[in-house]
Amino acid sequence: MSKLTLQYEGIVLKDYAIGPGVTIGRLPDNAVIIDNPAVSGHHARVFLEGHQVILEDLRSTNGTFVNGRPITRHALQHGDEVLVGKHSIVFDQNAVEPQPVAPPLESLGDTVYLDTKQHRALRATLESARADAAKSVNARPAPPVVTATRRVGVLRVVAGRSDQDEYDLAPHTSLIGRSDTSLVRLRGWFKPSVAVAIARSGNSYIATPLGGKTLINEERLDGRRVLQEGDILNVSGLVLEFCWKDAVHAESAA
Amino acid sequence: MSRVDDGVFVVCDGMGGAPAGEVASEMAIQAIARELNGHTNGEAVSSSPFLPHTTRLLDAVRQSNEFIYGEAQKDPSHAGMGTTVVGAWIHEQIAGVAHVGDSRAYLWHNDRLEPLTRDHSLMEAHIEAGLVEQGQRLPAEQQNALVRVLGREPAVEVDVTEVPVQAGDYVVLCSDGLTRMVPEAELAKAIQTFQEPQQICDHLIAAANENGGADNITVVVVKVTGGWWHQLINGVGSHLKRK
Repeated sequence: MSKLTLQYEGIVLKDYAIGPGVTIGRLPDNAVIIDNPAVSGHHARVFLEGHQVILEDLRSTNGTFVNGRPITRHALQHGDEVLVGKHSIVFDQNAVEPQPVAPPLESLGDTVYLDTKQHRALRATLESARADAAKSVNARPAPPVVTATRRVGVLRVVAGRSDQDEYDLAPHTSLIGRSDTSLVRLRGWFKPSVAVAIARSGNSYIATPLGGKTLINEERLDGRRVLQEGDILNVSGLVLEFCWKDAVHAESAA
Repeated sequence: MSRVDDGVFVVCDGMGGAPAGEVASEMAIQAIARELNGHTNGEAVSSSPFLPHTTRLLDAVRQSNEFIYGEAQKDPSHAGMGTTVVGAWIHEQIAGVAHVGDSRAYLWHNDRLEPLTRDHSLMEAHIEAGLVEQGQRLPAEQQNALVRVLGREPAVEVDVTEVPVQAGDYVVLCSDGLTRMVPEAELAKAIQTFQEPQQICDHLIAAANENGGADNITVVVVKVTGGWWHQLINGVGSHLKRK
């Protein structure tokens, strides 16, 4: 399966598999949601046509660009960079998955396991193949790859009752709620047991509302949302600001 | 294994080619159930980057690997047995998923099917390294090769993830008997069309058999629904077909 990688200023936000119809836009009913005023409600769509992956602009206000040129309809090539507002989406043809289509019966042998020795030999082969691939991309500009170490986000308490002023979002999933597994504990009998889950995904954090009322930048949080620096979350009265921690720490360490 | 009240669901697929594959998958289920029934180890939990229930599931899968490996060493008739495992524990609206091998977990969210696991297969390893293109296949003897299973090594690396689940979402666990025979698009269509977990399972098993299913097929479909005080997982359908 091919994939689309949504990026903002060189930071990878999320990968999307290309299904039967992927729409890109500002509204929550899109598969790829870009919450930015420069992006139209339904901005563009990506779909399969035969063996080609087609990108089509949905008469957006500010247009859709591929490698810097405006398009209305374009057959995507590996490495193409699509610009929608200020966000870029890189098309990766090689993110293939095995065809789930039924193989002929005769090849349906029993599942076998590679033992440690075979596994090591395989690993060596795969690693050298990877190294070769890395060398060969010099011929042609590869899609930007983010190699920076994983950044850690923090939630700073702006207003409301809490047991800390700041919470590091170090775990895979951080919960905000009354439950004792929550990183950010909400106090009060009528607070939701779990109000919001914030999950790491690559180099970004995705907030999902799970109970009670949560506002983000004074709008209701009603679906998954990638957190951006400066986002203000109001979780049942506790007001938190999302920021990146690394900038501060990298400077003090240097 | 489905323990609906606890929100724990596990699918194991014994390795057909290896001796005692069926014994291995049975042992894995029992060992995991035993571990999850035991008391929590509070100290181990605090250092994990995952939530406590996910960490317990991970520990249980690790323990089951040790157990199967140990049994295989003791009994020559069980030597070399192995099994895949994919387990999900849904607690406080977070699904913790642990897996080894090529049994898979999917999340159905917002009318989209999201894979939660990545096969530990030779095929997947080749794809990651860019050695094979879409649609291409490996030589027949490598087609079904796994690079990680439970019970074949003293210790195993377990892949773990966590994902929030909301009312209307479905979690699907299945063995390769399903995914080899039924395209993901059909799985998505079945959920959209039938909505009831048992009906989805029945349809998927029928579709796999129609497409020439020759392997064991195990499917667990969990529907997440909203409740007054907490989310409940009220619908579980599973189907086991044995050769």
